Amino acid sequence: MSAALEPKPPRAVAAVAAIAVNTFREAIRDRILYLLLAFSLLLIAASRLLSFITVGDEEKIVKDLGLSAIAVFGVLTSVFVGVSLVFKEIEKKTLYTLLASPIRRWHFVAGKYLGFMTVLAINVSLMTAALFLVLLARGEAPWMLVPAVVLTLVQLALVTAFAVLFSSFTNPVLSALGTLSVYVVGHLSWSFDLLKKRLPLGAGRRLCDVAHSLLPSLDRLDVKMHAVHGLPLPDGYVLFGICYGVCYSVVVLVLACCVFERRGFA
Amino acid sequence: MRGLVVTLLVLAGAAGAGSGRAGLLRLAGERAPAQELLYLPNGKYLKAVSLGHPGLVADLVYLWAIQYYSDYERGDRYRYVEHVFGNVIGELDPHYVDPYWLGAMILVAESRDLEAGLRLLDLGFERNPDRWILPYLAAFECHRVRDYSRAARYMDRAAGVTDAPPLVLRMRAAMVARAGDVREALDMWREVLADPRSDAGARAIAERQIRDLKVKIDIAQLQDAAERFTATRGRRPARLQDLVGAGVVGSIPLDPDGQSYRYDRENGKVTSPAGRILGASPR
Repeated sequence: MSAALEPKPPRAVAAVAAIAVNTFREAIRDRILYLLLAFSLLLIAASRLLSFITVGDEEKIVKDLGLSAIAVFGVLTSVFVGVSLVFKEIEKKTLYTLLASPIRRWHFVAGKYLGFMTVLAINVSLMTAALFLVLLARGEAPWMLVPAVVLTLVQLALVTAFAVLFSSFTNPVLSALGTLSVYVVGHLSWSFDLLKKRLPLGAGRRLCDVAHSLLPSLDRLDVKMHAVHGLPLPDGYVLFGICYGVCYSVVVLVLACCVFERRGFA
Repeated sequence: MRGLVVTLLVLAGAAGAGSGRAGLLRLAGERAPAQELLYLPNGKYLKAVSLGHPGLVADLVYLWAIQYYSDYERGDRYRYVEHVFGNVIGELDPHYVDPYWLGAMILVAESRDLEAGLRLLDLGFERNPDRWILPYLAAFECHRVRDYSRAARYMDRAAGVTDAPPLVLRMRAAMVARAGDVREALDMWREVLADPRSDAGARAIAERQIRDLKVKIDIAQLQDAAERFTATRGRRPARLQDLVGAGVVGSIPLDPDGQSYRYDRENGKVTSPAGRILGASPR
Protein backbone atom coordinates (compact mmCIF):
# COMPACT_ATOMS: atom_id res chain seq x y z
CA MET A 1 0.00 0.00 0.00
CA SER A 2 1.34 3.38 -0.88
CA ALA A 3 1.92 5.98 1.78
CA ALA A 4 -0.89 8.07 0.32
CA LEU A 5 -3.43 5.30 1.01
CA GLU A 6 -2.33 4.68 4.62
CA PRO A 7 -4.81 6.03 7.20
CA LYS A 8 -3.81 9.46 8.31
CA PRO A 9 -3.02 9.52 12.08
CA PRO A 10 -5.69 11.55 13.90
CA ARG A 11 -4.72 14.78 15.48
CA ALA A 12 -3.79 14.39 19.16
CA VAL A 13 -6.69 16.51 20.40
CA ALA A 14 -9.21 14.56 18.30
CA ALA A 15 -7.82 11.21 19.47
CA VAL A 16 -7.79 12.18 23.14
CA ALA A 17 -11.31 13.64 22.84
CA ALA A 18 -12.66 10.48 21.18
CA ILE A 19 -11.24 8.28 23.95
CA ALA A 20 -12.47 10.72 26.63
CA VAL A 21 -16.01 10.64 25.23
CA ASN A 22 -16.00 6.84 25.14
CA THR A 23 -14.63 6.66 28.69
CA PHE A 24 -17.31 9.07 29.80
CA ARG A 25 -20.06 7.01 28.17
CA GLU A 26 -18.67 3.82 29.64
CA ALA A 27 -18.26 5.28 33.12
CA ILE A 28 -21.77 6.68 33.35
CA ARG A 29 -23.07 3.24 32.44
CA ASP A 30 -21.06 1.83 35.35
CA ARG A 31 -23.49 1.04 38.18
CA ILE A 32 -21.04 1.89 40.92
CA LEU A 33 -21.25 5.55 39.94
CA TYR A 34 -25.02 5.60 40.28
CA LEU A 35 -24.77 3.71 43.55
CA LEU A 36 -22.29 6.17 45.02
CA LEU A 37 -24.26 9.10 43.72
CA ALA A 38 -27.54 7.81 45.15
CA PHE A 39 -25.83 7.03 48.43
CA SER A 40 -24.29 10.46 48.76
CA LEU A 41 -27.60 12.13 47.91
CA LEU A 42 -29.23 10.02 50.59
CA LEU A 43 -26.51 11.00 53.01
CA ILE A 44 -27.03 14.68 52.35
CA ALA A 45 -30.75 14.17 52.94
CA ALA A 46 -29.93 12.24 56.13
CA SER A 47 -27.87 15.18 57.32
CA ARG A 48 -31.11 17.12 57.53
CA LEU A 49 -32.51 14.49 59.87
CA LEU A 50 -29.27 14.33 61.85
CA SER A 51 -29.45 18.03 62.49
CA PHE A 52 -32.64 17.53 64.51
CA ILE A 53 -30.73 15.84 67.32
CA THR A 54 -28.24 18.64 67.77
CA VAL A 55 -28.36 21.75 69.91
CA GLY A 56 -27.56 25.06 68.24
CA ASP A 57 -26.46 25.60 64.65
CA GLU A 58 -28.05 22.82 62.57
CA GLU A 59 -26.77 24.17 59.27
CA LYS A 60 -23.18 23.67 60.38
CA ILE A 61 -23.74 19.92 60.59
CA VAL A 62 -25.56 19.84 57.26
CA LYS A 63 -22.64 21.67 55.61
CA ASP A 64 -19.98 19.48 57.26
CA LEU A 65 -21.75 16.27 56.38
CA GLY A 66 -22.51 17.42 52.82
CA LEU A 67 -18.95 18.54 52.07
CA SER A 68 -17.43 15.43 53.63
CA ALA A 69 -19.85 13.20 51.69
CA ILE A 70 -18.83 14.91 48.45
CA ALA A 71 -15.13 14.42 49.28
CA VAL A 72 -15.37 10.83 50.56
CA PHE A 73 -17.60 9.52 47.79
CA GLY A 74 -15.57 11.40 45.23
CA VAL A 75 -12.40 9.73 46.50
CA LEU A 76 -14.06 6.31 46.63
CA THR A 77 -15.27 6.73 43.05
CA SER A 78 -11.88 7.99 41.98
CA VAL A 79 -10.04 5.08 43.63
CA PHE A 80 -12.29 2.16 42.84
CA VAL A 81 -13.35 3.17 39.34
CA GLY A 82 -10.18 5.05 38.42
CA VAL A 83 -7.86 2.12 39.04
CA SER A 84 -9.79 -0.12 36.66
CA LEU A 85 -9.80 2.38 33.80
CA VAL A 86 -6.73 1.00 32.07
CA PHE A 87 -6.86 -2.51 33.53
CA LYS A 88 -10.37 -3.19 32.20
CA GLU A 89 -9.25 -2.39 28.64
CA ILE A 90 -6.35 -4.79 29.00
CA GLU A 91 -8.47 -7.53 30.55
CA LYS A 92 -11.21 -7.24 27.92
CA LYS A 93 -8.48 -7.08 25.25
CA THR A 94 -10.08 -3.97 23.74
CA LEU A 95 -6.76 -2.21 24.31
CA TYR A 96 -5.15 -4.29 21.53
CA THR A 97 -7.70 -3.07 19.02
CA LEU A 98 -7.15 0.48 20.16
CA LEU A 99 -3.38 0.27 20.02
CA ALA A 100 -3.55 -1.25 16.55
CA SER A 101 -5.24 1.92 15.34
CA PRO A 102 -3.10 4.97 14.63
CA ILE A 103 -3.30 6.48 18.08
CA ARG A 104 -0.45 6.92 20.51
CA ARG A 105 -0.45 5.34 23.93
CA TRP A 106 -0.38 8.72 25.66
CA HIS A 107 -3.57 9.61 23.76
CA PHE A 108 -5.17 6.62 25.43
CA VAL A 109 -3.98 7.55 28.97
CA ALA A 110 -4.90 11.23 28.60
CA GLY A 111 -8.29 10.39 27.08
CA LYS A 112 -9.09 7.92 29.84
CA TYR A 113 -8.14 10.48 32.48
CA LEU A 114 -10.09 13.36 30.95
CA GLY A 115 -13.17 11.23 30.33
CA PHE A 116 -13.19 9.99 33.89
CA MET A 117 -12.54 13.47 35.31
CA THR A 118 -15.59 14.69 33.41
CA VAL A 119 -17.66 12.00 35.13
CA LEU A 120 -16.20 12.98 38.51
CA ALA A 121 -16.87 16.67 37.86
CA ILE A 122 -20.51 15.89 37.00
CA ASN A 123 -20.83 13.73 40.10
CA VAL A 124 -19.41 16.45 42.32
CA SER A 125 -21.65 19.04 40.66
CA LEU A 126 -24.75 16.92 41.27
CA MET A 127 -23.83 16.29 44.89
CA THR A 128 -23.08 19.99 45.36
CA ALA A 129 -26.39 20.95 43.78
CA ALA A 130 -28.19 18.60 46.18
CA LEU A 131 -26.35 20.08 49.17
CA PHE A 132 -27.07 23.62 48.02
CA LEU A 133 -30.76 22.80 47.60
CA VAL A 134 -30.92 21.42 51.13
CA LEU A 135 -29.25 24.58 52.46
CA LEU A 136 -31.40 26.91 50.38
CA ALA A 137 -34.52 25.11 51.61
CA ARG A 138 -33.33 25.92 55.14
CA GLY A 139 -32.89 29.58 54.24
CA GLU A 140 -29.09 29.39 54.31
CA ALA A 141 -26.86 30.90 51.60
CA PRO A 142 -24.62 28.08 50.35
CA TRP A 143 -22.30 30.12 48.10
CA MET A 144 -19.48 30.35 50.62
CA LEU A 145 -19.02 26.57 50.18
CA VAL A 146 -17.98 26.95 46.54
CA PRO A 147 -14.19 27.29 47.19
CA ALA A 148 -14.26 24.12 49.31
CA VAL A 149 -16.06 22.18 46.54
CA VAL A 150 -13.68 23.49 43.86
CA LEU A 151 -10.62 22.46 45.86
CA THR A 152 -12.22 19.09 46.62
CA LEU A 153 -12.48 18.54 42.86
CA VAL A 154 -8.80 19.52 42.55
CA GLN A 155 -7.96 16.89 45.18
CA LEU A 156 -9.98 14.33 43.21
CA ALA A 157 -8.08 15.28 40.04
CA LEU A 158 -4.81 14.58 41.85
CA VAL A 159 -5.99 11.30 43.35
CA THR A 160 -7.35 10.16 39.97
CA ALA A 161 -4.01 10.96 38.32
CA PHE A 162 -2.32 8.64 40.82
CA ALA A 163 -5.00 5.99 40.20
CA VAL A 164 -4.21 6.15 36.47
CA LEU A 165 -0.46 6.04 37.18
CA PHE A 166 -0.76 2.95 39.36
CA SER A 167 -3.19 1.25 37.00
CA SER A 168 -0.75 1.76 34.12
CA PHE A 169 1.64 -0.84 35.53
CA THR A 170 -0.11 -2.95 38.17
CA ASN A 171 -3.38 -4.74 38.96
CA PRO A 172 -6.49 -2.99 40.39
CA VAL A 173 -6.03 -4.24 43.98
CA LEU A 174 -2.50 -2.88 44.25
CA SER A 175 -3.52 0.26 42.38
CA ALA A 176 -6.38 0.88 44.81
CA LEU A 177 -4.05 0.34 47.78
CA GLY A 178 -1.46 2.66 46.28
CA THR A 179 -4.01 5.37 45.49
CA LEU A 180 -5.60 5.18 48.95
CA SER A 181 -2.10 5.42 50.46
CA VAL A 182 -1.44 8.57 48.44
CA TYR A 183 -4.73 10.01 49.73
CA VAL A 184 -3.84 9.20 53.35
CA VAL A 185 -0.24 10.42 53.06
CA GLY A 186 -1.43 13.53 51.23
CA HIS A 187 -3.60 14.43 54.21
CA LEU A 188 -0.80 13.72 56.67
CA SER A 189 1.97 15.52 54.79
CA TRP A 190 2.13 18.14 57.60
CA SER A 191 3.55 15.38 59.81
CA PHE A 192 6.87 15.59 57.93
CA ASP A 193 7.32 19.07 59.37
CA LEU A 194 6.56 17.67 62.81
CA LEU A 195 9.03 14.84 62.32
CA LYS A 196 11.67 17.22 61.02
CA LYS A 197 11.56 19.25 64.23
CA ARG A 198 12.31 16.12 66.24
CA LEU A 199 15.25 15.02 64.12
CA PRO A 200 18.85 16.20 64.55
CA LEU A 201 20.34 18.33 61.77
CA GLY A 202 21.42 16.26 58.79
CA ALA A 203 20.18 13.81 56.19
CA GLY A 204 17.01 12.92 58.10
CA ARG A 205 15.77 16.49 58.03
CA ARG A 206 16.61 16.89 54.36
CA LEU A 207 14.72 13.68 53.64
CA CYS A 208 11.69 15.09 55.46
CA ASP A 209 11.90 18.26 53.37
CA VAL A 210 12.15 16.28 50.15
CA ALA A 211 9.28 13.99 51.10
CA HIS A 212 7.12 16.94 52.12
CA SER A 213 7.85 18.73 48.84
CA LEU A 214 7.34 15.71 46.60
CA LEU A 215 4.25 14.15 48.14
CA PRO A 216 0.93 15.81 47.30
CA SER A 217 -0.17 18.26 50.00
CA LEU A 218 -3.85 17.39 49.94
CA ASP A 219 -4.27 18.94 53.39
CA ARG A 220 -3.47 22.34 51.85
CA LEU A 221 -6.36 21.84 49.44
CA ASP A 222 -8.81 21.23 52.25
CA VAL A 223 -10.68 24.46 53.10
CA LYS A 224 -13.92 22.88 54.30
CA MET A 225 -13.63 24.39 57.76
CA HIS A 226 -13.06 27.87 56.35
CA ALA A 227 -16.07 27.47 54.10
CA VAL A 228 -18.37 26.15 56.82
CA HIS A 229 -17.50 28.93 59.28
CA GLY A 230 -17.35 31.62 56.60
CA LEU A 231 -13.72 32.40 57.44
CA PRO A 232 -11.88 34.40 54.79
CA LEU A 233 -9.26 32.69 52.66
CA PRO A 234 -6.12 34.59 51.66
CA ASP A 235 -6.45 36.32 48.29
CA GLY A 236 -5.67 33.97 45.40
CA TYR A 237 -5.65 30.85 47.62
CA VAL A 238 -8.14 28.95 45.46
CA LEU A 239 -6.30 29.93 42.26
CA PHE A 240 -2.97 28.77 43.69
CA GLY A 241 -4.67 25.56 44.81
CA ILE A 242 -6.05 24.95 41.31
CA CYS A 243 -2.63 25.73 39.79
CA TYR A 244 -0.88 23.34 42.22
CA GLY A 245 -3.39 20.52 41.66
CA VAL A 246 -3.51 20.83 37.88
CA CYS A 247 0.29 21.04 37.47
CA TYR A 248 0.89 18.16 39.88
CA SER A 249 -1.71 16.04 38.06
CA VAL A 250 -0.06 16.80 34.70
CA VAL A 251 3.32 15.62 36.06
CA VAL A 252 1.76 12.39 37.39
CA LEU A 253 -0.05 11.80 34.09
CA VAL A 254 3.17 12.35 32.13
CA LEU A 255 4.78 9.71 34.34
CA ALA A 256 1.81 7.42 33.73
CA CYS A 257 2.17 7.94 29.95
CA CYS A 258 5.91 7.17 30.11
CA VAL A 259 5.30 3.98 32.09
CA PHE A 260 2.48 2.94 29.75
CA GLU A 261 4.62 3.64 26.66
CA ARG A 262 7.27 1.24 27.95
CA ARG A 263 4.82 -1.46 28.96
CA GLY A 264 4.77 -4.56 26.81
CA PHE A 265 1.50 -6.36 26.05
CA ALA A 266 1.87 -10.03 25.32
CA MET B 1 -35.27 -35.04 60.91
CA ARG B 2 -32.63 -32.91 59.23
CA GLY B 3 -34.95 -29.91 59.25
CA LEU B 4 -35.60 -30.38 62.95
CA VAL B 5 -31.87 -30.47 63.72
CA VAL B 6 -31.30 -27.28 61.72
CA THR B 7 -34.19 -25.53 63.47
CA LEU B 8 -32.93 -26.63 66.89
CA LEU B 9 -29.41 -25.47 66.06
CA VAL B 10 -30.68 -22.06 64.89
CA LEU B 11 -32.85 -21.69 68.00
CA ALA B 12 -29.99 -22.76 70.30
CA GLY B 13 -27.63 -20.36 68.53
CA ALA B 14 -30.12 -17.49 68.81
CA ALA B 15 -30.70 -18.21 72.50
CA GLY B 16 -26.95 -18.36 73.16
CA ALA B 17 -26.33 -15.13 71.28
CA GLY B 18 -29.21 -13.44 73.11
CA SER B 19 -27.98 -14.46 76.55
CA GLY B 20 -24.42 -13.49 75.61
CA ARG B 21 -25.58 -10.06 74.52
CA ALA B 22 -27.60 -9.61 77.69
CA GLY B 23 -24.50 -10.54 79.70
CA LEU B 24 -22.37 -8.05 77.78
CA LEU B 25 -24.91 -5.27 78.31
CA ARG B 26 -25.16 -6.09 82.02
CA LEU B 27 -21.38 -6.06 82.44
CA ALA B 28 -21.05 -2.89 80.38
CA GLY B 29 -23.57 -1.24 82.71
CA GLU B 30 -21.43 -2.14 85.72
CA ARG B 31 -18.36 -0.35 84.43
CA ALA B 32 -17.02 2.62 86.35
CA PRO B 33 -19.03 5.77 85.65
CA ALA B 34 -17.79 7.89 82.73
CA GLN B 35 -15.12 5.28 82.00
CA GLU B 36 -15.73 5.54 78.26
CA LEU B 37 -14.74 9.18 78.38
CA LEU B 38 -11.45 8.50 80.17
CA TYR B 39 -9.77 7.34 76.99
CA LEU B 40 -11.43 9.76 74.58
CA PRO B 41 -8.37 11.19 72.81
CA ASN B 42 -7.61 14.86 72.65
CA GLY B 43 -9.00 16.58 69.55
CA LYS B 44 -5.45 17.25 68.28
CA TYR B 45 -4.93 13.52 67.77
CA LEU B 46 -8.40 12.92 66.38
CA LYS B 47 -7.80 15.76 63.94
CA ALA B 48 -4.66 14.04 62.66
CA VAL B 49 -6.52 10.84 61.87
CA SER B 50 -9.64 12.52 60.48
CA LEU B 51 -7.93 12.83 57.05
CA GLY B 52 -9.29 16.24 56.21
CA HIS B 53 -12.67 15.86 57.90
CA PRO B 54 -12.14 17.32 61.41
CA GLY B 55 -15.35 19.36 61.14
CA LEU B 56 -17.44 16.25 60.56
CA VAL B 57 -15.69 14.34 63.38
CA ALA B 58 -16.34 17.34 65.67
CA ASP B 59 -20.04 17.21 64.70
CA LEU B 60 -20.24 13.49 65.45
CA VAL B 61 -18.54 13.84 68.85
CA TYR B 62 -20.83 16.80 69.61
CA LEU B 63 -23.98 14.85 68.68
CA TRP B 64 -22.77 11.93 70.77
CA ALA B 65 -22.00 14.27 73.71
CA ILE B 66 -25.51 15.72 73.56
CA GLN B 67 -26.99 12.23 73.84
CA TYR B 68 -24.49 11.26 76.56
CA TYR B 69 -25.20 14.27 78.74
CA SER B 70 -28.95 13.91 78.21
CA ASP B 71 -28.84 10.68 80.19
CA TYR B 72 -29.60 11.82 83.72
CA GLU B 73 -29.17 8.36 85.21
CA ARG B 74 -25.45 8.32 84.52
CA GLY B 75 -23.40 8.77 87.67
CA ASP B 76 -20.40 11.11 87.80
CA ARG B 77 -21.38 12.44 84.39
CA TYR B 78 -19.85 15.87 84.77
CA ARG B 79 -16.23 14.87 85.34
CA TYR B 80 -15.12 15.13 81.72
CA VAL B 81 -17.43 17.85 80.38
CA GLU B 82 -14.61 20.37 79.98
CA HIS B 83 -12.41 17.76 78.29
CA VAL B 84 -15.12 16.66 75.84
CA PHE B 85 -16.34 20.12 74.85
CA GLY B 86 -13.07 22.06 75.15
CA ASN B 87 -10.24 19.65 74.37
CA VAL B 88 -11.93 17.20 72.03
CA ILE B 89 -14.58 19.10 70.06
CA GLY B 90 -12.85 22.46 70.54
CA GLU B 91 -9.53 21.18 69.22
CA LEU B 92 -11.17 19.39 66.29
CA ASP B 93 -13.09 22.47 65.21
CA PRO B 94 -11.99 25.54 67.21
CA HIS B 95 -14.53 27.77 65.45
CA TYR B 96 -17.55 25.63 66.35
CA VAL B 97 -19.14 27.90 68.96
CA ASP B 98 -22.11 25.81 70.10
CA PRO B 99 -20.09 23.21 72.07
CA TYR B 100 -18.46 25.94 74.19
CA TRP B 101 -21.72 27.42 75.35
CA LEU B 102 -23.56 24.11 75.65
CA GLY B 103 -20.70 22.62 77.70
CA ALA B 104 -20.65 25.75 79.86
CA MET B 105 -24.41 25.53 80.41
CA ILE B 106 -24.10 21.89 81.49
CA LEU B 107 -21.27 22.80 83.87
CA VAL B 108 -22.98 25.83 85.37
CA ALA B 109 -26.62 24.82 85.43
CA GLU B 110 -26.30 21.10 86.15
CA SER B 111 -22.87 20.52 87.63
CA ARG B 112 -23.00 23.83 89.58
CA ASP B 113 -19.40 24.49 88.61
CA LEU B 114 -19.37 28.15 87.58
CA GLU B 115 -15.59 28.40 87.30
CA ALA B 116 -15.36 25.43 84.89
CA GLY B 117 -18.19 26.85 82.80
CA LEU B 118 -16.48 30.24 82.61
CA ARG B 119 -13.19 28.56 81.67
CA LEU B 120 -14.92 26.86 78.74
CA LEU B 121 -16.52 30.14 77.60
CA ASP B 122 -13.16 31.91 77.98
CA LEU B 123 -11.50 29.22 75.86
CA GLY B 124 -14.19 29.62 73.20
CA PHE B 125 -13.78 33.40 73.15
CA GLU B 126 -9.99 33.09 73.00
CA ARG B 127 -10.38 30.98 69.86
CA ASN B 128 -13.25 33.06 68.45
CA PRO B 129 -12.67 36.68 69.42
CA ASP B 130 -15.38 37.78 66.99
CA ARG B 131 -18.20 35.92 68.81
CA TRP B 132 -19.74 38.24 71.38
CA ILE B 133 -22.22 35.59 72.51
CA LEU B 134 -19.56 33.75 74.57
CA PRO B 135 -18.60 36.58 76.98
CA TYR B 136 -22.25 37.66 76.94
CA LEU B 137 -23.31 34.27 78.32
CA ALA B 138 -20.42 34.33 80.81
CA ALA B 139 -21.69 37.72 82.01
CA PHE B 140 -25.16 36.29 82.53
CA GLU B 141 -23.82 33.40 84.57
CA CYS B 142 -21.86 35.85 86.77
CA HIS B 143 -24.96 38.02 87.09
CA ARG B 144 -26.94 34.98 88.19
CA VAL B 145 -24.61 34.51 91.17
CA ARG B 146 -24.64 38.30 91.82
CA ASP B 147 -20.99 38.77 90.90
CA TYR B 148 -21.79 42.05 89.17
CA SER B 149 -18.21 43.30 88.78
CA ARG B 150 -17.20 40.17 86.90
CA ALA B 151 -20.42 40.27 84.89
CA ALA B 152 -19.61 43.85 83.92
CA ARG B 153 -16.11 42.84 82.78
CA TYR B 154 -17.50 40.03 80.62
CA MET B 155 -20.18 42.32 79.18
CA ASP B 156 -17.46 44.85 78.41
CA ARG B 157 -15.59 42.17 76.41
CA ALA B 158 -18.78 41.29 74.54
CA ALA B 159 -19.42 44.95 73.75
CA GLY B 160 -15.87 45.24 72.39
CA VAL B 161 -16.68 42.84 69.54
CA THR B 162 -17.26 44.77 66.33
CA ASP B 163 -20.66 43.35 65.40
CA ALA B 164 -22.05 43.14 68.94
CA PRO B 165 -25.73 44.17 68.79
CA PRO B 166 -27.04 47.24 70.67
CA LEU B 167 -28.53 44.89 73.27
CA VAL B 168 -24.99 44.09 74.47
CA LEU B 169 -24.27 47.79 75.04
CA ARG B 170 -27.47 48.08 77.09
CA MET B 171 -26.62 45.00 79.13
CA ARG B 172 -23.10 46.28 79.72
CA ALA B 173 -24.42 49.57 81.09
CA ALA B 174 -26.91 47.71 83.29
CA MET B 175 -24.20 45.37 84.66
CA VAL B 176 -21.86 48.28 85.38
CA ALA B 177 -24.67 50.05 87.23
CA ARG B 178 -25.36 46.88 89.18
CA ALA B 179 -21.65 46.66 90.01
CA GLY B 180 -22.01 50.10 91.58
CA ASP B 181 -20.08 52.28 89.14
CA VAL B 182 -22.98 54.61 88.37
CA ARG B 183 -20.89 57.32 86.73
CA GLU B 184 -19.43 54.82 84.27
CA ALA B 185 -22.91 53.38 83.78
CA LEU B 186 -24.30 56.86 83.07
CA ASP B 187 -21.69 57.35 80.33
CA MET B 188 -22.57 53.95 78.87
CA TRP B 189 -26.29 54.71 78.80
CA ARG B 190 -25.50 57.98 77.04
CA GLU B 191 -23.53 55.92 74.53
CA VAL B 192 -26.60 53.71 74.00
CA LEU B 193 -28.77 56.80 73.51
CA ALA B 194 -26.35 58.17 70.92
CA ASP B 195 -26.00 54.82 69.10
CA PRO B 196 -27.80 55.17 65.73
CA ARG B 197 -28.61 51.44 65.84
CA SER B 198 -30.79 51.88 68.96
CA ASP B 199 -34.49 51.72 68.20
CA ALA B 200 -37.21 53.80 69.88
CA GLY B 201 -37.65 51.23 72.66
CA ALA B 202 -33.92 51.11 73.42
CA ARG B 203 -33.72 54.90 73.45
CA ALA B 204 -36.67 55.10 75.85
CA ILE B 205 -34.92 52.62 78.18
CA ALA B 206 -31.66 54.59 77.93
CA GLU B 207 -33.42 57.89 78.70
CA ARG B 208 -35.09 56.40 81.78
CA GLN B 209 -31.82 54.90 82.98
CA ILE B 210 -29.98 58.19 82.45
CA ARG B 211 -32.61 60.06 84.50
CA ASP B 212 -32.45 57.47 87.30
CA LEU B 213 -28.66 57.45 87.39
CA LYS B 214 -28.49 61.26 87.31
CA VAL B 215 -30.82 61.36 90.35
CA LYS B 216 -28.75 58.74 92.11
CA ILE B 217 -25.49 60.60 91.47
CA ASP B 218 -26.99 63.95 92.54
CA ILE B 219 -28.40 62.51 95.76
CA ALA B 220 -25.09 60.82 96.56
CA GLN B 221 -23.20 64.08 95.96
CA LEU B 222 -25.59 66.15 98.07
CA GLN B 223 -25.64 63.55 100.82
CA ASP B 224 -21.86 63.50 100.91
CA ALA B 225 -21.74 67.31 101.00
CA ALA B 226 -24.30 67.40 103.84
CA GLU B 227 -22.22 64.94 105.85
CA ARG B 228 -19.06 66.98 105.31
CA PHE B 229 -20.97 70.13 106.41
CA THR B 230 -22.11 68.33 109.56
CA ALA B 231 -18.59 67.13 110.29
CA THR B 232 -17.00 70.59 109.95
CA ARG B 233 -19.76 72.73 111.53
CA GLY B 234 -20.89 70.32 114.22
CA ARG B 235 -24.53 70.69 113.13
CA ARG B 236 -26.67 69.62 110.17
CA PRO B 237 -27.41 72.14 107.44
CA ALA B 238 -30.87 73.73 107.75
CA ARG B 239 -31.48 73.47 104.02
CA LEU B 240 -29.55 72.40 100.94
CA GLN B 241 -28.77 76.01 99.99
CA ASP B 242 -26.59 76.22 103.15
CA LEU B 243 -24.15 73.85 101.43
CA VAL B 244 -23.54 76.47 98.71
CA GLY B 245 -23.14 79.25 101.26
CA ALA B 246 -20.58 77.16 103.14
CA GLY B 247 -18.69 76.46 99.91
CA VAL B 248 -19.16 72.69 100.20
CA VAL B 249 -20.77 72.53 96.75
CA GLY B 250 -20.79 75.04 93.91
CA SER B 251 -24.54 74.83 93.24
CA ILE B 252 -27.53 72.66 94.05
CA PRO B 253 -28.58 70.61 91.01
CA LEU B 254 -32.19 70.14 90.00
CA ASP B 255 -33.53 66.69 89.20
CA PRO B 256 -34.15 65.73 85.52
CA ASP B 257 -37.76 67.02 85.85
CA GLY B 258 -36.46 70.43 86.98
CA GLN B 259 -37.57 69.97 90.57
CA SER B 260 -35.47 70.57 93.69
CA TYR B 261 -34.17 67.68 95.76
CA ARG B 262 -35.66 67.30 99.20
CA TYR B 263 -33.72 67.54 102.40
CA ASP B 264 -34.95 66.29 105.80
CA ARG B 265 -33.22 68.30 108.51
CA GLU B 266 -34.31 65.83 111.21
CA ASN B 267 -32.42 62.83 109.82
CA GLY B 268 -30.09 64.63 107.38
CA LYS B 269 -31.25 62.60 104.36
CA VAL B 270 -31.48 63.90 100.80
CA THR B 271 -34.23 62.38 98.64
CA SER B 272 -35.64 62.76 95.17
CA PRO B 273 -39.07 64.34 94.80
CA ALA B 274 -39.97 61.53 92.37
CA GLY B 275 -38.51 58.89 94.68
CA ARG B 276 -36.20 57.47 92.02
CA ILE B 277 -33.81 55.24 93.82
CA LEU B 278 -31.69 52.48 92.29
CA GLY B 279 -30.42 49.49 94.22
CA ALA B 280 -26.69 50.08 93.93
CA SER B 281 -24.77 52.77 95.76
CA PRO B 282 -22.36 55.03 93.86
CA ARG B 283 -18.62 54.82 94.11
